Amino acid sequence: MKKYKFKIIAGIFLLMTVALFIASCAASKPIADKPGALLWGENCVRCHNAPSPSAFSDTQWEAIGKHMRVRANLTEDEVNKIVEFLSMANQ
Amino acid sequence: MRNIFLIIAVMAGLIYAQDKPGESRFLLRGYAHSGLEMREDASTFVGGSFNPIFLWRQSQKLLFEAELEIEVEGGETNIGLEYANMAYILHSYAILRLGKFLLPFGAFAEKLHPAWINRMPTKPLGFGHDGVGPARGLGVELRGGIPVGVAKMSYSVYVINGPVLNDGSDPTLEPEEAGKVNYEPTGELESENKAIGGRVSLLPFSNSSMEIGLSGFYSNVGQKGTEYEDVTLFAYALDFSFVKKVSFLSGVIDIKAQYNAENVSDAYYTNYEDSSRYTFKNNSSSYYGQLSYRPVNLGSDFFNSLEIVGRYSALSFPKGALWEADQTQVAVGINYWIDWRNVIKLTYQVTDAGAHGEESGEGQESRDAVFIHWAFGF
Repeated sequence: MKKYKFKIIAGIFLLMTVALFIASCAASKPIADKPGALLWGENCVRCHNAPSPSAFSDTQWEAIGKHMRVRANLTEDEVNKIVEFLSMANQ
Repeated sequence: MRNIFLIIAVMAGLIYAQDKPGESRFLLRGYAHSGLEMREDASTFVGGSFNPIFLWRQSQKLLFEAELEIEVEGGETNIGLEYANMAYILHSYAILRLGKFLLPFGAFAEKLHPAWINRMPTKPLGFGHDGVGPARGLGVELRGGIPVGVAKMSYSVYVINGPVLNDGSDPTLEPEEAGKVNYEPTGELESENKAIGGRVSLLPFSNSSMEIGLSGFYSNVGQKGTEYEDVTLFAYALDFSFVKKVSFLSGVIDIKAQYNAENVSDAYYTNYEDSSRYTFKNNSSSYYGQLSYRPVNLGSDFFNSLEIVGRYSALSFPKGALWEADQTQVAVGINYWIDWRNVIKLTYQVTDAGAHGEESGEGQESRDAVFIHWAFGF
């Protein structure tokens, strides 16, 4: 019974994910071509809500960017662009 | 109390230091949470915990991070070190970490457990302390994120001090839990082994909306010089995440799921009550699936701040062990986001102890609970 439960739940998740993905498809763009604002919107929400740029100062964003590079395995390019965007948007 | 004053003094000094110009960047972050738990028989204020996170960016390549957990439990204030480690950026795709760190065994323990990130006031069954699989360790790790065309992948490999098998031989160390693996041995259960582990994940779409991760962990767990010295542990986890703004739903869909499994090789244990010998298939597992929906584009601040969330989780400890368990849990809730890092959660949760509870004479146990919880990230 437990195995069936697991399979049913896994199946529902899979179907929902496929349906949602198909319904919300957008053109692919290489990460290198994306601006910081887009990367901020796409990456932060993978774990938590996207932070408000005004929540921290430029120097604080630098420390947070480094922390997220380690914790969330963001690439160097992603972190640099996101921190640059947040530092500009918090004026 | 002295420790708390010391921590406050250190924090005050470091906050003052951050106003000074220079290459170093210090930041005090963290989270706190508290709330009310209502059950049939009693209502209790729970949580009351405060987790300061210290971040010190020494240079472009060096970062130190540490987190304390300060919580009130049973009228006493407990202080614990969640992690403390140094990270050195070797190059664009490789970071070396040394110290005590959260293990990338799945995604929940490393990234999703903080109260202001977790959509529920509780952790899924088997994902808290004494759960299935490791959560943190002391050792060295190599990790990084790598772009792969329009997709991306991440990796982590680590060596840490290994966990220890409770072989039931010491009557002072919960002999009824013989066969259970203690991932954070303290005191007399000093670890003599090393564990190796790692995680690879793939984010197949260029918008990073989906992540699929696979984790593994292997260690000898028996104490050397005992009949258990060849006992090994192999644990693995599969995790899944999908977060996407869906225009026809006027909101954001967030799906999280993880399956953890633990296999300990066969061994005979001694029943502490009658000294008889017994064995069992020492396999444990736990899993959860969670779905949340937040209508961020409804045009009303109030409705945009609401979030509906549901979670199903299950835990299975080995049949035949004195600590066998077979539990399931359903939780549904509604959250109100005051801002991006402040949330009030109202949750209804039902936990079912399952058939094993009945077999052991405890009867079918089902515990309903309602939580009102406030989590605060800073």
